[in-house]
This record gives sequence, structure tokens and C-alpha cells, in this order.
Amino acid sequence: MLLTKNKSNRYTSFLRERYRAIVGYTGLICAIAGLVILSPLLALFFYPEELSLAWAFAIPGIALVIIGLILWRSLTPKRNVSLSLQEGAIIVVLTWLLAIIVGTFPFITLEGLNFTQAMFESTSGWTTTGLSVVDVEQASKLILLYRSNIELAGGAGLAIITLSAIAGPIGAGLTSAEGRSEQLAPNVRRSAKLVLGIYSGYCVVGIIALVIAGMGWFDAINHAFAALSTGGFSTRSDSIGYWDSPRVEAVTIVLMLLGTLNFVTGYFLIRGKFKAVVRNGEVRLQAVIIPLCILIILFGVGIGLYPTLGKSIRVAIFEVITALSTTGFSTVGYSDWNSLGWTIMIILMLIGGGTGATAGGIKQFRIYALYRALVWEIKSMLLPDNAVTEADYWQGDRRKFLSDNQIKTIALFVFLYLILFTVGVIITAAYGYSLPESLFEYASTLSTVGLSIGVTSPDAPTGLLWTQIIGMFLGRLEFFTIFIGLIRLCQDVFPVVFGKK
Amino acid sequence: MAQSQYIVVVGCGRLGSILACRLSSQGNSVVVIDPYESSFNNLNSEFSGFQIVGDASELAVLRSAKADKADCLLAVTDKDNVNLMVAQIAKNIFQIPTVLARVFDPAREKIYRDFGIATISPTQLSADAFITNLSS
Repeated sequence: MLLTKNKSNRYTSFLRERYRAIVGYTGLICAIAGLVILSPLLALFFYPEELSLAWAFAIPGIALVIIGLILWRSLTPKRNVSLSLQEGAIIVVLTWLLAIIVGTFPFITLEGLNFTQAMFESTSGWTTTGLSVVDVEQASKLILLYRSNIELAGGAGLAIITLSAIAGPIGAGLTSAEGRSEQLAPNVRRSAKLVLGIYSGYCVVGIIALVIAGMGWFDAINHAFAALSTGGFSTRSDSIGYWDSPRVEAVTIVLMLLGTLNFVTGYFLIRGKFKAVVRNGEVRLQAVIIPLCILIILFGVGIGLYPTLGKSIRVAIFEVITALSTTGFSTVGYSDWNSLGWTIMIILMLIGGGTGATAGGIKQFRIYALYRALVWEIKSMLLPDNAVTEADYWQGDRRKFLSDNQIKTIALFVFLYLILFTVGVIITAAYGYSLPESLFEYASTLSTVGLSIGVTSPDAPTGLLWTQIIGMFLGRLEFFTIFIGLIRLCQDVFPVVFGKK
Repeated sequence: MAQSQYIVVVGCGRLGSILACRLSSQGNSVVVIDPYESSFNNLNSEFSGFQIVGDASELAVLRSAKADKADCLLAVTDKDNVNLMVAQIAKNIFQIPTVLARVFDPAREKIYRDFGIATISPTQLSADAFITNLSS
């Protein structure tokens, strides 16, 4: 009896110590999230007339920074503690929830949204979805910039920013919990710095390219941020269609492709190692899917619908890339498209972008791996019983082999993805929308795309908005992190609080 | 160790994994090489470097570990001959500034020294430790 009591005491004090570290690091990341919320205030230098709105960002931002710093300073152990994947998952889930909830403040106070709508907008921003219930024509510059900034930060991942900005927790647990298991360099912190460096580089180039293509500075900054984070918030209600300019579309397409490209592949591209890029499975998959879908959309939808061939080609290219990269900019509406076009768009959205990029969806690598596994399976059936073969793929400049374990994890992920997709579609359909609308809108939600055919609107039912909020959140953090984080948190916290065990 | 170094650890057994984890948690860029993937289970969550499956006495494996850019290489497999060979390759072909090898057999230490490779011999070290304990 005494022994068990001692044991549980020791376990409790161990947990307490681990949670001090977890809450401390959560505080640190929250402080960074607070800075992101404060960041639109930089625009006051250019738009001083909006000074009266500044408090709506200053209050939540400063509060989050101060609380975060206090937690960090008071709780984090002096010695750097390395975090396991489970602990990383808890931190990631907690910080994302806090960032989203605090991020609703400017929307409620300045835009007059109710809590559900504000949660929707905030989640859509941090998860880089880009579905919106804000009227962008009426919104102030600060709100528009705020939406783009949270997309930018959400795209890179809060943990990455924190890691590279400050000497944060070591160990790969945190970054892999946020969906970045591949590293650029054999050291997490240097890796995080490289990712952030590449990302900022893309941003600068993107902004300048958009300005050259004919956008104003403010629009260029917003659209570059939204395109690279594959977010898709626009400052115009017609999105990129507002400009109706081939040059703007071309630049945006390149930015969206960069955003959806795995940072590791991007790194190889920058260093000029094209062989590694060409061998990459995701690049190969895109090289097949994109032209194929462009042709289908062009001949199946575009030519009959749009007056000129040029317009149809532009629409086909742009819509395919915006859907696959899970960005969600659009140049046209989809309500007049036929079913073929809708089907292709839904499939593209479900496939989604690259792993370790800013995109959402099932991820191209998983599709590619499953395809390789399928071919491998058929091949091995044709070979003699004792033949040993393995399905290979290239990761950077290294050749790797698909293990059974990996295929199992991927297959389970895809299965779970489709289950959640189906549940979401059922709920959407239950609110009285047609099946095509439900499929399209929920694919867009779960893959954090942001294309809409009109289901998402300020007057959508509250229950539907919450279904979408959960979908976006799950989609961005790839289910398993959230499940692991929440389950672990409950397992650890309940016995301590209720004195069981 | 003030700034971050690029370190290649050859062999991920008991010693190799401890070295890799500690060096990685100190903020160095660490790459471990081992012929068996299961050896990497010895690494704990402190390790955030790369793992390469392969035989380090092959040039291609060392090249894929970017040995030419390394500041330091530690040859700590459980085979003296492998350690010697890897250390020699690292020193002479890849020109790595710091090369350390583990050698169990004290009789071989002289050969290592003749090749100009710094060694650490657990046998010698424990012998020394025993004797200092006795005399004190």
C-alpha cells in the first residue's frame, strides 16, 4: 500500500515537472503568436488614419505576449529539456487553440462578428484555409493585413518560428508534431532557421513580383502572404479574378506552387540540385496530375463556358493549381461549372499539397507512396514466391524504401481522412445543401483550401460553421497530433485533478 | 564547444548513440551512420540529426553523409578494424580536421598512432582507472 502510494507520488511529481516544461514552452510559443497578432500595427506607419482601430490588436496581442513571457520565464526549467513527440503534440495543440481563440478578438470588436463567425475566421486564417465570412470590401486595411499575417504565420507553423527565433526546446518532437518530420539540416534549430529563411525569401520575391505584375503594394503584400502560405485570403471579393490580368495570375501560380513545394525540395531547388528535385515523388506526381487535370478542365469545362480560348486556358491552369496547392484563390465562380469540373476540383483538393510545406490535404507524398506500394504489390505477385523486391522512393538525395509499417500508417491516415470527409459531408448535407455542394465545400474545408461555392457565408447555420472549424483544425494539424495531444493531456491531467489511481 | 559543429558519428551502438544524443542536444549538426536500422532505436528524443543506414567503410555512404564538409568524425563501432579504416578514409580522403577512433585492443594503438589518428581505448582507460584506484 505504502509502496504504491510512493510510486504514484513520484509519478505525480515527475508529471508536474514535465508539465512545467510543457506549459513554459507553450507560453513561449504563445508570446510569438501574440507578436503575430500585433504585427498588423506596423501598417499604421502607412495608414495612420486607422490608429483608432489599433487597440483591437494591441489588447489581445500584448496580453498574449505578457502572459506567454511570464509563463516561459517562471516555469521553463533552466536546463534545456528535450521534448518527446507526445509532449510536442500537447504543446502544439494548446498553442494553436490559444492562438485561434485569442485571434478572434479583432474580428469580434472591429468587424462585429459573433463568436462563432469570429472563431471561423480566425481558424480559417491560422490554418491557412481562406474561407471567409468577412466582407472584405468593407473591412479596414488593418483587418485585411491581420488576416494575411496570421495565414503567413500559420503556414510556416508557430513552433518553427519560435524555434528559429529563440533558443527553444530541443529535440525533433515539436516540429514533427506540427507536421514537419523531414529536416533540411541535421539539427532542428538550424533546420527551422533555414525553413524560415527560405519562406521569407519567397515572400520578398513574391511581393516584388506581384508589384511588377501590376498590383498595388498593399494588395501585393497581402496576396504574396496568402499565396505562399497557401492560405488564400484576398483583399477583394472577386479574389485574383479582380485584376483579370494574365501576369498577376502567372505570378500567383508560381507563388502557389512554391508554397505547396516541400521545403526540403525547395532547398534543393535553390541550391541548384535539380536531379534531386526531378527524382522527388511529389514533383513527379504533380508533373502528371497538373497537366492531366488542366486538359480535362479545359476541354470538359472551359471551352464550352468561356468566350475565348485564351480565357479558358487561363482558367483551367489557375483553378487546377489553386485547388491542388490548397490555396483557394479563384478567378471565376464555380456555380456554372459542370459536374466533371466539380469532380476534378474535389479530387484535387483532397489530394492537396506537398508534405512539409504549408499546404493541406491528404498530401501528395502519401498518394505517391500508396501508388508505389500498389505497383509493388502487383509486381511481387507476378514474381516468384521467394523474390525479394522493395518499393523505393527518393527523399532529397537519398534513396529510401517503403516499409510495411510506413504503408500501414499512410493507409490508416488516408482512411481516417476519408472518414472525416464523409462525416463532414453528411453534416453539411443535413443542413439542407445539395450533395455536390456539400462534397465541394467540405473537401475545401478539410484540406484547408478555401474555395467556396457559396455554402460558407456569414448567415450559414452555427452548427455548420463549427463543423467546418473542427474540419479546418484537424486538417491543418493532421489528426494524429491532435488526437495524441488531447488523449495524452486527458490521461495525465484527469488522475491528478480527480485524485484517482 | 562554442559554435555548432558538423559531426559524423560512425556506429550507433551504446557509445555511438550516447555521443550522438549529447552532441545533438548541445546544438551540433549530427549525422549517425550504422548498417542496421534497428540500431537507431538507441537514440532518444534529444537527437535531432540525420540517420543514415549503410556501411561507413564504403565511400558512397560517407559521401552521402557529407563527410567532406564535416568538422569532426568519431569512429565508434565495435570493430577495431572498421574504426581504423573509416578513420583513415576520413583523415586522408575527406581531410576532416578532427578524427577520433575507438580501439579496444591496446596492441593496435601504436599502428593507429603511426597513421596519425587520435585514439581512445576503453581497455587502456579502464586499466588506468583500476591502477589509480589501487594506488590511492
